[in-house]
Parts: sequence; C-alpha cells; structure tokens
Amino acid sequence: MFSNLIKTSVLSVAALVASVPATAKDTVVLSGIVQLERVVTEDGKAQKVLAAPEGVVPGDRLLFTTSYENSGGEPVENFVVTNPLPTAIRLAEADAAFQVSVDGGATFGDLGAIKIEDAEAGARAAEARDVTHIRWTLERLDPGAKGTLNYYGIVR
Amino acid sequence: MEHMGLKFAASPLVLATFLVASPAMADGVPAGTLIENTATAEFSDADGTPQTVDSNTVTVQVDELLDVTAAWQDGSAVAIGNASAVLTFEITNTGNGPEAFNLTADAAVTGNDFDVTVDGLAYDTNGNGIYDDGVDVVLGAGAPTPSLDADAALTVFVLVNSPAGVTDGDSSAVKLVAQAVTGAGAPGTSFAGQGVNGSNAVVGTTSADADVDGSLIARLAALSLIKTASVIDPFGGSEAVPDATITFTIVANVGGSGSITDLNVTDAIPAGTTYKPATLTLDGAPLTDASDADAGEANNSGITVDVGSAAAGASYTVTFDVTID
Repeated sequence: MFSNLIKTSVLSVAALVASVPATAKDTVVLSGIVQLERVVTEDGKAQKVLAAPEGVVPGDRLLFTTSYENSGGEPVENFVVTNPLPTAIRLAEADAAFQVSVDGGATFGDLGAIKIEDAEAGARAAEARDVTHIRWTLERLDPGAKGTLNYYGIVR
Repeated sequence: MEHMGLKFAASPLVLATFLVASPAMADGVPAGTLIENTATAEFSDADGTPQTVDSNTVTVQVDELLDVTAAWQDGSAVAIGNASAVLTFEITNTGNGPEAFNLTADAAVTGNDFDVTVDGLAYDTNGNGIYDDGVDVVLGAGAPTPSLDADAALTVFVLVNSPAGVTDGDSSAVKLVAQAVTGAGAPGTSFAGQGVNGSNAVVGTTSADADVDGSLIARLAALSLIKTASVIDPFGGSEAVPDATITFTIVANVGGSGSITDLNVTDAIPAGTTYKPATLTLDGAPLTDASDADAGEANNSGITVDVGSAAAGASYTVTFDVTID
C-alpha cells in the first residue's frame, strides 16, 4: 500500500516534468573536480603528477576540470559554460580554449586583448592575475556529446 | 575522465616520498580558507528556451603553511665590555596562519674568539625595537613566543654576558634559532589536523626553521698610570732636603677600546712630606682642595681626582706638590 503510494507519486512527478518544456535542463549534466599538480622526481626525472588534494597551500597549482554531457535526446544550442574563479585562486595561464573576464563577468575576451584602466599608470594589458571569470563557448551539443573543460589555477 | 582517474590512481605513494613543496608566499591565502569552484552552463534547448545548469561545487581547504625567517637587526657588531650586552633580532611568520615559535640562542658558534653566556631571551612589547629592562617580556626557559599572525614580525632580544679573560677586539657570535611550535622539518612535512580550522599544517620552503648569527666585539679599555717626581730645593737646586718642594705628576692613559665608566685617580701623601695647599691640578687646570663640586680633593693624607667616564685614547694628567718636612 505504502510503496504503491510512492510509486504513484513518482509517476506523477515524472509526468509533471515531462509536461514542462524545459526537459533539456535535466539532460545536460555538469560535473566538476579539482586536482593538485605536484612535481615528483622518480629515477632522477622530474614529472608532473595530478592527484586529488587533501589540502593546498599558497603557490600550489590546481587543475579544475568540468565535465559536460548531453545525456538527453535533443541537441542544445549556444552552450556556454561560465566559471567564476574562486577569490583565493588566480588563473595560471590563458588558453585558446576559453575567453576571460577581468570585470566580474560583465565582458569577455582573449586575455592578450584586454586592457585595464589604471588610475596611476593609464591603460595596461590585463594579466592572468586580473581574471575573474572564464567562459567556454560551444556552438552545439548533440545528444550524447560530452567532453571536459579545464583551467589551471594557482592558490594565491 | 574515467581514464584520467585511473592514470593517477597509483600516484599517492610516489607523492609521499618525493613531495616537492610549493614556493612560500608570505602574502598567501589565509590558512583554513575554503576554495570553492562551481561552473554554470547556459544554453538553448531544442525549443530555443534558455536553460541554466550548475555543476557540483568542488571544495578544497587551504592548509596552514609553516614558514619563518630571522634577521639580525644591529647592523654592526655589538660592543661588549666586561658586563652585559643585548643582541637584537627580528623573526617573521612568513606562513599563512597564526603560529608561535620556539627560540633558542646558541653562544658556541664556530670561529668565536670567546663564547658569551646567554642570560635570557626577551621580546619587544612596546614596539621601540630597543630592549627595555623590566618592560619587555623575558621568555621563560623553553617558552615559545606569543602567537604571531601571518606576516607578523617580532623583535627578539638575546641578553648576553661577557666571560672573564676576554681580550680587547676579540669577536664572538650568537646564533638565534626560531622554529614553528607546530613542527619543523623537511619542506612538505605535514602535521595532520594541526592547522587552522582543522586543516593540515605543512612545512614550507623555510623548513619552518630559521637561524641567523648576531655579532659581538669585545671593547675593553686598559688603564696605565705613570708617576714621576721633580724636586726643587730652597737653594735653587734639586736636592731632596727639608723644605724642598716635590712636584708629583701622574699621567693616566686609557688604552684599548671602549671606555672606563668611573676613573678615579688617588694617591697618598708620602711619609715625611706635607701636602702643599692649592697645588692640585688636572690637565693644567687648578682644583680646589675642598671636597666640593670640582673633581679634586686634597689634604695631608692624600689626593683624589674623579675623572669620571674616560674613553679609550684619552689621557689625563694630575699634578700636586708636597714639601719635605
């Protein structure tokens, strides 16, 4: 009796969701992880190794990865992923894969092309440390399309 | 992503052995800070309706970095006589969280001409950078400094005393060592849960252990006295006969370096002679016989000239006359 009730309610929820046009919302999934890059020396050779961090200290280099997948049956268009940088993180380096913002996400562009107005020194080229947001733009995600977006940050 | 996870699954063992610490950043993010990263996707669905999806939020905590630097503040070797002297140092918490430090002062430094004794360690409480006896706090034996905030500095005084038998111009050094109370060791050494807000405490590039030498130089003045006498007899000669006048000249030379704080020249009137009143002089200037404001005092038992502080290189000449009975 009780389990029947639950079943019924689950069904009705599913029906409700299906009736709302916004089904695509539930079909695209974003999933984030963070990894700590360490330089380890093995047999006299230095190499970079990524691992889940227990904790980090200032100066540590972190790889933030966001995985996306269109698990629905319909394509989505104008797929834009925006990642505000945590205040304790500065962007390690620019990447052609993403555009950056130095004004809190209001405008985006390539890092090399952005100028910052400085009251004392006049306009100067924006640097990685100025970046506040990162944005990836993908035209279209077909059903089943998936991939990863990532950036390196350094603990300030 | 799955293959990425597999690829690094075996790495923790390697990490534990060959960890290379990150560079210390004195102005780093405070220990205990949570770094939270969330990505947001915006897109149009099949119907052209705008949609928004958030990722999960990944969180990582900033560990406490243990770092310290030490600097000697005196600038040039501190002069030490045959008493006490104070060496001034500054220690700085270059980590990213509050930390106290254990201090030790080692007087046995290689190359020393002499080793001082360390009377104590103190820290500046009134911020004037100078040791004030009775004002600045003397640390108890083995007691750490108060907790210093990230980037905060503390002026530390090492109170020393000169041993006997030191020669003027000898040099010595005292090594101040500061170590994080939480722990010190190879960079990357981690102390689980001992950081701010339960974060780990991790030793930074300074090994959380700083030492620096402070120099001392012995400044000891040496005094030599030379006494001469000349006689004038009543007949215009220089025979020591009754009623002849003897003029005594005492030259006090201060050699070495440093100074003498309280130079007092005294002499007794020889038996068989009598002090000739109003003949006492210091460097050619007459001094009264009475015990008064000037430096001299003289009577039939002896003379006293209180020169006071006398610097190395100075010379003082005292003269007085007596008459042979």
